[in-house]
Amino acid sequence: MRRSDPSARRLDGYAPLRDYAAIGDGRTVALVARDGSVDWLPVPDLDSPTVFAAVLDDERGGRFVLEPEVAYRVERRYLPDTNVLETTFHTASGSARVSDALTLPGEGLEPFRELQRRIMGLAGTVRFHWRVEPRFDYGGASPRFGRRFGLPVAGCGADAVGLIAFGAGASAAGWSGAFETAHGSSHLLVLSMAHQEPLVFPSRGELDARFERTGEIWRRWTAERTYDGPWREAVIRSALALKLLVFSPSGAVAAAATTSLPEEIGGERNWDYRYSWIRDSAFTLEAFLRLGCPAEARAYFWWLMHTTQLDAPRLGVLYGLDGRRRASERELSLHGYRGSRPVRIGNGAADQLQLDTYGELMQTAWLYAEAGNMIDHDVGRRLGGFADFVAANWRTADSGIWEVRSEPRHFTQSKMMCVVALDRAVQLAERGSLPRRHLDRWLREAAAARRFVGSQCYSERHRSYVRSAGSEELDASVLLGLLHGFGDDAARLSSTVDAIATGLAEGVLVRRYSGGDGVPGSEGAFLACSFWLVEALARIGRVDEAADRMDELVGLANDVGLYSEEIDPAGEFLGNLPQGLSHLGLISAAAAVAEASS
Amino acid sequence: MTVAGALAGGLIGTLVLTSLMRAANELKLTRMDLPFLLGTALSGNRARAKAVGYALHFCFGLVFALGYYAVFAAIGSAGWGLGAAFGLLHGVFAGTALVNVLLPVVHPRMGSPMTGAGDAPLLEPPGFMLRNYGVQTPLVAIAAHVAYGSIVGGFSSLGG
Repeated sequence: MRRSDPSARRLDGYAPLRDYAAIGDGRTVALVARDGSVDWLPVPDLDSPTVFAAVLDDERGGRFVLEPEVAYRVERRYLPDTNVLETTFHTASGSARVSDALTLPGEGLEPFRELQRRIMGLAGTVRFHWRVEPRFDYGGASPRFGRRFGLPVAGCGADAVGLIAFGAGASAAGWSGAFETAHGSSHLLVLSMAHQEPLVFPSRGELDARFERTGEIWRRWTAERTYDGPWREAVIRSALALKLLVFSPSGAVAAAATTSLPEEIGGERNWDYRYSWIRDSAFTLEAFLRLGCPAEARAYFWWLMHTTQLDAPRLGVLYGLDGRRRASERELSLHGYRGSRPVRIGNGAADQLQLDTYGELMQTAWLYAEAGNMIDHDVGRRLGGFADFVAANWRTADSGIWEVRSEPRHFTQSKMMCVVALDRAVQLAERGSLPRRHLDRWLREAAAARRFVGSQCYSERHRSYVRSAGSEELDASVLLGLLHGFGDDAARLSSTVDAIATGLAEGVLVRRYSGGDGVPGSEGAFLACSFWLVEALARIGRVDEAADRMDELVGLANDVGLYSEEIDPAGEFLGNLPQGLSHLGLISAAAAVAEASS
Repeated sequence: MTVAGALAGGLIGTLVLTSLMRAANELKLTRMDLPFLLGTALSGNRARAKAVGYALHFCFGLVFALGYYAVFAAIGSAGWGLGAAFGLLHGVFAGTALVNVLLPVVHPRMGSPMTGAGDAPLLEPPGFMLRNYGVQTPLVAIAAHVAYGSIVGGFSSLGG
């Protein structure tokens, strides 16, 4: 995917969210703007405090600027089949390319984390300037600056960064500089990062080899993916984006790589998404299986079953990437993206009751077993406990998939997913993966919940399942219930799809729901819902309509194929990015259209 | 003080430690499962891993008891209290270095802070003081090791 458009632009110091590309190493993710500035980098892990957070505070957040000194035009792409970013700057005097990567670990003595920025002259000359402003703890801590072997270092508590420059015209202080590229010239800036250990300063040869190896590992990973259907380029890019969100040390998958990128510019709908939501588990596992990632699927399922162990038979809404159940929410004194405050870390939704998560987890277990994996006795016993919990509690009001902060309600999608949970428990028990002693109860309660949804959650006026029992509001999440196997009434499924397509969609973009949620302000269209509608259309046989929508949605990705959580009518990104659920929706919708077409 | 006493203490101590950890599992205090962690180093099959892990766990229990005995012999003293102090040290060492740092490095199926996107390990690393497996894990692990150490110390002193 290679496009070009007018040179990068900032508003009040903030780049449009659409301008960000993501690079990562399976532990952390950095955001790189079109103008070459690294504006987000938590260290050492994706959910750690940041070294660079200019995307949340232009003045205090810290950044790594690398930009031509004169007017330029930008072209960007990922190096094919990798998460290595290439930004090509074209100026009146020449062109140069910046290649950015968080390098992947090998066998040798390497920095704990490493950001490489390699600059190569392509034609003529381009004069660059660069500046590194390391801040720690989301800009809230004062670093101690110094020098080691003549190289600039900055430290704070257990964290430190050091800068290594080759041919980059470093200033006396070492944290900034300027240089000029010529045809074929090579320049290198490396940020070596340490956590609870000394800094490592690699040689030029080691750096070159590691950069090459990083590209090779990504290419090898991509070559192993088996998807060969339509929109393959977008699906593979989504797979690579999803892989960035896989926290390799544990197998957990983060919902997004950032916190508090706003759902409304200037608004307060700013949340920390650097956690793993059970809600996303079925889509995640299915995507791994569809893409031919058995190792990731297995690691994710093991992580899910291991990390939910202490809460069983209840489920947390979300878990830390290291498996810890701590997500206490607090606000940081940062300016926020274009004044969107508060900036939050942690997530208060962790303590909500969300019944849909049980359906998601049971669906995940079902998909895992269907793929030929064994569910052992201990896991089966625990899954049986979740089903028992659902059988006993499906009548309870909850906060629903959208985590409303208003009073709990009887959300339709939650009840649908309770039915899915019990149905899957019955199926797993019948194949011997779960204990059978409560089978009759699961069957009885599934039937009762199904009757409740059919009688209380369907509006004859809208000819659609609605947001909650007795309401007349629409909710795109009911598509999810239908996609995961709730109900067998084809007419109701079809009319619900129509109602959402007319009531919540503007063009191809679909809003989450109508009605309030207990948080002031509004939001954009939700990209995952837009993809769910495509998948639902494909499932009911309206393949051409689904494909047309899909074409348009694929065209809404940014220049490097990434999506955030939401998008406004002008096409600007809103919310955290890259957003796993958006990319999962794309993968699932593409596969559904492919299946329906064949 | 005899080697046989120390070994008997190691066997009984490991039984008690294992039972305490297993009970803590059931009481939802921790997700820590030492035999499982050890066994998965040799097998990716959960059931087989647990069987192998229990055998390994008891072997390690005896080896550590011999280590305790060597120190008791060197200082010429053993007892329930001294053993408990060794157990406390042992528990802290396990949480800060042995299981936290060394196990992820040698365990082929466990992630570590250095695991990158090229790998997909099956087991999450335990973290400092094993807290990734539940915030109560340090307390449980240390209490179990204190019990183990006390029994090894006591049995060592009883053995002649």
